[in-house]
Amino acid sequence: MTRALFPTQEIGSLAKPRWQLLGQRSEPLDEAAKGEFRVETDRTGFANDLPAARDVLLAGRAREVDPERVRDLGALFAIRFLESAGLDRVYDGEARRIEMYEYPIRQMRGFRFQGHVRSFDNKYYLKAAVVDELRLERPYHVDEFDFVKRHAHAEPKLPITGPYTLADWSFNEYYLSHQKGWKGRTARRAAQREFVVDLARRALRPTIQALIEHGCRVIQIDEPAAGTHPDEAELVVEGFNAATEGFDAEFSMHICYSNYRDLLPALLEAKRCHQWAWEFANRDVEGHDGYAVLAALAEYGDTREVGLGVLDVHRDTIETPELVAARIGRAVRYLGDPHRIWVNPDCGLRTRRLPVARAKLEAMVRGVALARAEFESPRR
Amino acid sequence: MIVRTGLTGAAPRPESLILATRDLDRGRTSPEAVEEMFQGAERDVVALERRLGFESISGGYLRWPDPFRPFGETWEGFAVGPLSRWLETNTFFRQPILLAPPGRVPGAFASRLPPALRADPPNGRILLPGPYTFAQVLDNRSGETDEAVIHRLGRALADEVRALRELGFRTFLFGEPMLAVRPPEGPRAEAVVAGYRSLQAALGGATSIVWTYGADGIPAFPLLDRLPVSAVGVDLADTDVEHLPPSAHRTGLGLGVLDPRTTLAEDPAEVARVVRTAHERRRPSTIWLGPGAPLDLLPWEPATRKLHVLPAVSQALGDGGRR
Repeated sequence: MTRALFPTQEIGSLAKPRWQLLGQRSEPLDEAAKGEFRVETDRTGFANDLPAARDVLLAGRAREVDPERVRDLGALFAIRFLESAGLDRVYDGEARRIEMYEYPIRQMRGFRFQGHVRSFDNKYYLKAAVVDELRLERPYHVDEFDFVKRHAHAEPKLPITGPYTLADWSFNEYYLSHQKGWKGRTARRAAQREFVVDLARRALRPTIQALIEHGCRVIQIDEPAAGTHPDEAELVVEGFNAATEGFDAEFSMHICYSNYRDLLPALLEAKRCHQWAWEFANRDVEGHDGYAVLAALAEYGDTREVGLGVLDVHRDTIETPELVAARIGRAVRYLGDPHRIWVNPDCGLRTRRLPVARAKLEAMVRGVALARAEFESPRR
Repeated sequence: MIVRTGLTGAAPRPESLILATRDLDRGRTSPEAVEEMFQGAERDVVALERRLGFESISGGYLRWPDPFRPFGETWEGFAVGPLSRWLETNTFFRQPILLAPPGRVPGAFASRLPPALRADPPNGRILLPGPYTFAQVLDNRSGETDEAVIHRLGRALADEVRALRELGFRTFLFGEPMLAVRPPEGPRAEAVVAGYRSLQAALGGATSIVWTYGADGIPAFPLLDRLPVSAVGVDLADTDVEHLPPSAHRTGLGLGVLDPRTTLAEDPAEVARVVRTAHERRRPSTIWLGPGAPLDLLPWEPATRKLHVLPAVSQALGDGGRR
């Protein structure tokens, strides 16, 4: 299939709309939530595929709706939200997931949730310890993928949390307890390696296999923890390779807020990684070219695709289409080949309110149009 | 062997307080109700610290969003920037943006100390970011060199220490993970020493501890041994005790013997063995034991379970000098 230059994609999560949060809890929608629901239905018709759930929810009879149908509506909303912004690859905004850590961990045995750890401000995440042999209950994300495949008009791309990040964000009891003596640096490293490889082989592989059997062709492995221990980049790669080896799908690796140079060249050994989907816009500030790090890929002769983060998901400021186009232009100069570039937000947009997320995505798509006009020009 | 124990960073919030703060954000409870919860939780932390025989009490610093926000929000010259990842964790801090030379605003910082700590300054433990770490994590838009910023932050922190000393505080712990994560060299290392000399003048006879974590502390020792402080601390989850360099001085040694990155409880006998090894290598005047990194990387229950290891270790070491 021939694509236009600079195809667009999302990276993962969207903020859940208020009506979804209330509906999942079987609480009646307040006026703000109803208004939000109606505006989006008018704009994209997202709820028309599930008229029964829509009508009961809007009638204030939330208790009569199965929370799963509310999640269906949430997924439909996110799919249409992303499609109507003009993206070429979409997913469901992770509408069914609690977040990228707790959801997959709940699909496995061998973990025990220990309590909440603060992420920032009054935001927390529930953190688990691996306390026993790790076993997958059943492959996860399959039902949600089936739903997206059934309803999406654009190409689906499934995000899944990588084995290194799942291990890094968990407490390691089971594997560490097998280490003799003082649980210092060497013991921790050895225990972590066992944990990552077990996650890759016992949880990720069966899940990816099931997804592929259900028709999933494009899979983004999220490894946001990769950059936090640059000296463990080889372990990130070992986990990635163990999870993807032998599978026929297009894999990308998403990393963000990291010094990518510190991870190279180790990261380049991720054999089945077709695309690096990285954050750049957050570091692209006056006086500092956030895209200069792409030169490192050229230095190592890496010619894979790059998912280019052009939207800062931590700020409300809406990037102008001209800024997006300029960022793409800089990336082309560093990479040399415009055909290697996909365009996306830095990371999942769940940190932004939905109107802000929409404005950013629309600016991104307009910026891509400007860049296409420049780089598809016959003069080139 | 003189052994002291205590917290080396913020404590985790108890689950009930977490629920309350979540409810506050969702508009389901009042600020007054949450304030009561904070005060109750701080009293619980103080009671626990006393029960465990800690050298000084901290109150847990449960209200602080991150180690830098109290300064970014109260000191002159700062703005509060975007969320940034905190070292090797799934936690974040708001990056301070330095727009102009930093300066303390009298009373602003002290008002953010836990009330339980303000009530008993002589037995309180003040946690402050060290000048090097502070300078490394901020977005320097002040137009000054990084070295100048380290030095300025040392002086501004010294002003803060002076004011806190006047309130009666006598124990200060400076969190310096970046000394281990990114050990400074050349002029930057000299700026760190200069920053701590400024602090030394303000500290007078108070106890001062520089606590490193986040990476192997060994490469930082040539610099740590030059700092004019009462003790330097390393996280033994990252630092191999067998590689601790001998010390020409009898500076105190801090040992992070509780690992907040695992819920697996430490074995007191094993900890005591490691502490003895460290003591033999450094012959410190005093050994300071605590969590290697801030304990708020753990939930409340496993964190408190780990803290109970400390008195057991003191006991195993012969309890020399513990209060």
